[in-house]
Amino acid sequence: MKTAVTAEHLRFLGDLRHYLDGLDDGLIEAARQENIEDPMQAREHGRRFLQQLGGDGWLGVSWPQEYGGQGRSAIEHWLFAEELYNRRLPNGLTTLNVIGPTLILMGTDEQKAAYLPGILRGELEFAIGYSEPDAGSDLASLRTRAVRDDDEYVVNGQKVWTTGASVATHLWLAVRTGREEDRHRGISLLITPMDASGITVTPIITQGGECTNAVFLDDLRIPASQRIGGENDGWQTVTAALNFERMFYHNEPRWELRQLAEWAAGEDLLTGSSPAAHALQETMGEHAVDVEICRLFALRGARLLADGSVPYAEASINKVWWGELRQRICDTGMDLIGEEATIARSEHAPAHGHLDHGLRSSPVWRFGAGTNEIQLDIIATRGLGLPR
Amino acid sequence: MIDPDLSPDELLLAKTVRGWFDNFVDNTYLNAQEVSDLGYEPHRWKEINRLGWSSINIPERLGGAGATLAEAAIIARELGRAAYASPLLSTVRTATVLADAPADPRSDAALTELVAGAPAALVAPPDRAVTATSSGSGGFRLAGRPVVVEWLEAATSVVLVVPVSADGHWLYALVSPRELSGRVTPVPSIDNERAAWLDLDGFDLPLDGVLAHVPGPQADYAMARANLLRASLMVGGCESVLERTARYAKEREQFGQPIGAFQAVRHHLARMAIATDAARLACNDALVRATPDAQESAIVAVALFAAGRSYVQVVLTAAQVHGGVGTTAEHVLHHHFRRAKAMQLRSGRRADRLHEIHDALIVRGEGSLW
Repeated sequence: MKTAVTAEHLRFLGDLRHYLDGLDDGLIEAARQENIEDPMQAREHGRRFLQQLGGDGWLGVSWPQEYGGQGRSAIEHWLFAEELYNRRLPNGLTTLNVIGPTLILMGTDEQKAAYLPGILRGELEFAIGYSEPDAGSDLASLRTRAVRDDDEYVVNGQKVWTTGASVATHLWLAVRTGREEDRHRGISLLITPMDASGITVTPIITQGGECTNAVFLDDLRIPASQRIGGENDGWQTVTAALNFERMFYHNEPRWELRQLAEWAAGEDLLTGSSPAAHALQETMGEHAVDVEICRLFALRGARLLADGSVPYAEASINKVWWGELRQRICDTGMDLIGEEATIARSEHAPAHGHLDHGLRSSPVWRFGAGTNEIQLDIIATRGLGLPR
Repeated sequence: MIDPDLSPDELLLAKTVRGWFDNFVDNTYLNAQEVSDLGYEPHRWKEINRLGWSSINIPERLGGAGATLAEAAIIARELGRAAYASPLLSTVRTATVLADAPADPRSDAALTELVAGAPAALVAPPDRAVTATSSGSGGFRLAGRPVVVEWLEAATSVVLVVPVSADGHWLYALVSPRELSGRVTPVPSIDNERAAWLDLDGFDLPLDGVLAHVPGPQADYAMARANLLRASLMVGGCESVLERTARYAKEREQFGQPIGAFQAVRHHLARMAIATDAARLACNDALVRATPDAQESAIVAVALFAAGRSYVQVVLTAAQVHGGVGTTAEHVLHHHFRRAKAMQLRSGRRADRLHEIHDALIVRGEGSLW
């Protein structure tokens, strides 16, 4: 049996832990609280934290050294992300893990020079503009139009679920430059600063408290030099970026399970043999199994990337498992707490209200980043060769 | 499928074992063996022994192949794929426990007999149905309910692993089948394996049979390594049933198209793939980590639980995808269907396993870097 995590990888993890333990307590606590409130976008303290990491050379673990990264393997990148998830600290999410690597693959030298150093310093934050009111799972039907005007595009349309747009510095924008009937062959990918004129951001508050946005684009002008890849070739860029987005980590469900364990310890249920303790231990035992399986699904993705492959069905399996597990831990965790779990986030809320917060946030874990129904089809068709 | 976790040598072993079973094992063969007197063919057992598979992880100094637990687990996986019933799993499990036990000439002698082709049975009730109490002067008396033991009647060596009441230690003991006469009742099994009921209540362990008296965690770990072989067997079962069912969903047509073209059926297959991968990755992770010098009982418990749960889930869904044809004695699925539940239950009660996992992973924080 091949070993995935070597002694050298563990040394890296040890160094990282030592580094994180030495950071300013105030900064860590503020970044953690902010990230627990809404993990989808680094804001004031999260940004300060990422800039600290960037300044100390800890961002871009698996980026090539020629672009300012550490040039380490995908396994170390996995350890990095898992360690930060375990501490509930921001890890750079989309910008560092999706946009940067896609730019390295598809960007021009000028584009790389313009964006990569800022990303590694933790100064740039991208929001992704793919979904539209009538283009959700069926992304290839998007309608936001970009019309060429000399060396610029003029963009008109609407994006929705553009998480992070209210705090981002840049927008990574899929637009239609070809005909609608050409579907994915008529799409281009553009980058624009968020402060360009013609962008209006309207926040949408979700039931979990996370903020996402609708973004209206009216005669927004974007230089053609800000197009990633060829005109009408944007689907390739979108696909490349999605491949980097297909990693889901296991320390988020582990963190939720830990919240339940801490509550149970306070209630004297974690050990002991009362009926309530028995029920709790049995349920948590199975969750613990499923968290370890989630770890192995995430690690498999990292191993494939480290071997130069791209996880497809494997990433879909990871995503389905991860989202359903998190939802299940929150749901059954509240079952174990009982009526007191109806107390909303306050000093009186059991498990600090984290399980309720998780349950309210959980729908997006199942339908976001490609609905689980689509993931199951990917597993069956790409993984098992079943017909469509 | 090819498991990317296997080393080239392990892959070669897997292919060799699979090829050997493919030569003669099919549903007709399994059906015939299930109703035969012995439940397996002694000449096949001799062949398995000659190939070195029943003694693969016995040390070379005793005549075994000195292989890793992972290599033994690969043989178990192929056994699980084939749904082949024999004393092989119980023999390799027994050998694993004996080889891990404190060095003793009597264990060495027993292992040498296994190398020579003796089938063995392991009496290690998973839910502590039997306990030992000191009866003075170094002897022990056993107490408890009758327990089900796989392939007890075929075995010429019997090893007991039981807890000692009061001191938290466990006993390893060697017993000859002769000493158990009158205490063994053959019972039919829900799958194609053979088993007997063994009533140990009031049994005085002969003093010269007691091999070792070891602390609980050490015995837990020895049993964990033996249990990993069963987990691997169940992974093989998952893989085989998944592959068959995917093939069937591509071939079987209804409403003018393969049933696998219906999204509801595709999603069934996707869930089977997820369950199979969960079991295999957990088992392989445990096999990497559970070396003799480590103490990785927690991750093995995870693998054993995951493999049992997955195997049952996979066969239940496979039966749904196959419909009527999968329920007949003419289709090999009926063997996997029964073996899945039986193999899962041979690890004991679900609630007991989950409590142990809870204690290890949640309370003691074992099993992970985080």
